[in-house]
Amino acid sequence: MTRHALALILTLTALAVAPTVPMVQGSAGGTITGTVTAAGLSTNANAVVYVEQAAGPFTPPAPAQIDQRNLKFVPEVLPVVVGTTVKFLNSDSVAHNVFSPDYEKYNLGTWPQGQFKDHTFAKCAKAPCVYTQLCLIHSEMQGFVVVLQNPHFAVTDAAGHFTINDVPPGKYTVGVWHQKLKAQPKPVVVEAGKPATVDFTLGR
Amino acid sequence: MTSRRPAVPLVLLAFAMAAALLACSGQAEAVPAFARKYHTSCQTCHSIFPKLNAFGEAFRLKGYRMPGETEEMVTEKPVSLGAPAYKRLWPEAIWPGELPGGVPLALNIKFAWVNTSTLNPDGTVTSVKNDLQFPQEANIFGAGTLGDHVSFFGEVTFGENPDSSVSVELEHARLNFDSPFGPEDAFHIRIGKFAPNLVDGIQEMWIVTDAAIDSLFAYNPIGPAGGTGLAGDMSPMPISLPDRVRGIEAYGILQHRILWVAGLANGISPGPNGGFDGNNAKDYYARFDFKLGGMGLDGDLGGKAPPAQNWRDDSVRIGAFIYRGDGSDINFESTNLDGSAVNVQDLHFLRTGLYASAFYKNLNVFAAYLHGSDSLQLLDPATSSPLGLFEPPFHAWFTQADYMFYPWLLGSFRYETVTPGDRSVPSLRTGVFNVSALIRANVKAMLEYQRDLREGRNHSLNGLVRFAF
Repeated sequence: MTRHALALILTLTALAVAPTVPMVQGSAGGTITGTVTAAGLSTNANAVVYVEQAAGPFTPPAPAQIDQRNLKFVPEVLPVVVGTTVKFLNSDSVAHNVFSPDYEKYNLGTWPQGQFKDHTFAKCAKAPCVYTQLCLIHSEMQGFVVVLQNPHFAVTDAAGHFTINDVPPGKYTVGVWHQKLKAQPKPVVVEAGKPATVDFTLGR
Repeated sequence: MTSRRPAVPLVLLAFAMAAALLACSGQAEAVPAFARKYHTSCQTCHSIFPKLNAFGEAFRLKGYRMPGETEEMVTEKPVSLGAPAYKRLWPEAIWPGELPGGVPLALNIKFAWVNTSTLNPDGTVTSVKNDLQFPQEANIFGAGTLGDHVSFFGEVTFGENPDSSVSVELEHARLNFDSPFGPEDAFHIRIGKFAPNLVDGIQEMWIVTDAAIDSLFAYNPIGPAGGTGLAGDMSPMPISLPDRVRGIEAYGILQHRILWVAGLANGISPGPNGGFDGNNAKDYYARFDFKLGGMGLDGDLGGKAPPAQNWRDDSVRIGAFIYRGDGSDINFESTNLDGSAVNVQDLHFLRTGLYASAFYKNLNVFAAYLHGSDSLQLLDPATSSPLGLFEPPFHAWFTQADYMFYPWLLGSFRYETVTPGDRSVPSLRTGVFNVSALIRANVKAMLEYQRDLREGRNHSLNGLVRFAF
């Protein structure tokens, strides 16, 4: 293999595994970290923690992806910045459908294993704009695309931990969205190179 | 019309019934399907199963949901039958529901060691000694929730008879819609065959012993001078306060402390029309309870800490109930004192009662009083021409004291009496002593002595072992 070919492969690989977080102008900054506790639920996962408003504009990143695998939307919760295109893949051996009853409402149809369809979340008047993803064929399936104003967001893990990197220094309001619970937004001050901590307890 | 003396003394009928009922007793039981669902012990809801503690009573009334239940409390995760978002799409989509995560079945098996002595009409005594009824009865339960606002309960009982035949009865099959609208627990509705809340809840307390409370549930009012005792193999179904109905019932809890119940039932069956409702006329019932102190009927504690002992619930609960039935067009065969045949129709009947239960530390004393009145139409069996109409009242009451000696040991004493409509026969008086011991949370042993307080030759001594899994 030539050096050029190797460089090309490495470049393509890097692009393939690159995070889908968009380019952020002036992104060198601090970190917002913390824990979200979902009271009464068996897991603290899948809460979206986000900066409510940040100075933009923001260029949408490469398309994000939601897979339909083992009769589930994977990931179940996908936050995106407004303008992002989401590719809906079907990895199951059975046909799947994707539709959403929210906002402009869409039905992408039904397609077999290995194929995908796109939808671009082009607008969001007041973030977060939550698009419920449903499958007409398997009514128990449910996922969420959470459209946000800016790319400063993160999804909690099972322990409720989250980290939002590269937030420009400044004063922000941090909100949290969860499919079942809610909490009031909180103010946070981000300083360059320093972590700012904010915790949430979600309730009914 | 002539009044008659009963051919068989009332007390004999009472004990014949009691012996017969041994093979088919048992109302509600413990349901281990819930222990599996929540990974919790029987003691969460029962003191000595099947007697419910205050928490278990709230769990029952709430449609098999724990007070303040969260998703985290349900260990056995349910199977989704539709994403919650489909609620917003209704009526364009099916309203989402759930299935229990595990098969919601449970088994309850009873072994009995039976000794009975019964005085016969001819003065002889029939004795059964050391009859090992292993097993005597098995119950299969199905119970659980089907997502928000829907729950179910079913019970099939298999009884083994001395001739090796097996009797099978579908004792319960009901579907509940719990708090479908309005404030939580203010309104529930259930359909099916079930123990009406008219007596359910009360039953949950008195079924500690294995002896059915015949004075309330097995009185037979039919007779040319009024009822003389308990119903035996009576057909159509006995006219009494029903322990189970086929019908529709609404109930709810108000202000944590008030229970209201209103129901509609088929009534006596079978009848001339051959249907489950013998005469196309419906029965109606209602109940109103108030609880003072202790845990609320919906599990509300009012910010107070519950007692450490799960059976304690220092409180007083009082209630009143009424059942109105219609037995017109349904003939019961009877005889006058002169031996001539007569048909009796109970054109309409009323059962009204009061109930009270008090808990103080380890002691629970409860009682119920029932007044019954029947509008009995006597008919010539050949011509159906009326021979007379009269309305004999009867009344019955019982009181029971339960005392928890240890978390696993309960002692009970019950006294019950019924004064029949035919005042020429003596009243029934029965005493029941019972000791129940939990060998494990789901394995119970009982020793029970029942005695006719008028005729000492009518008595029984039974040992029982029950286990549920």
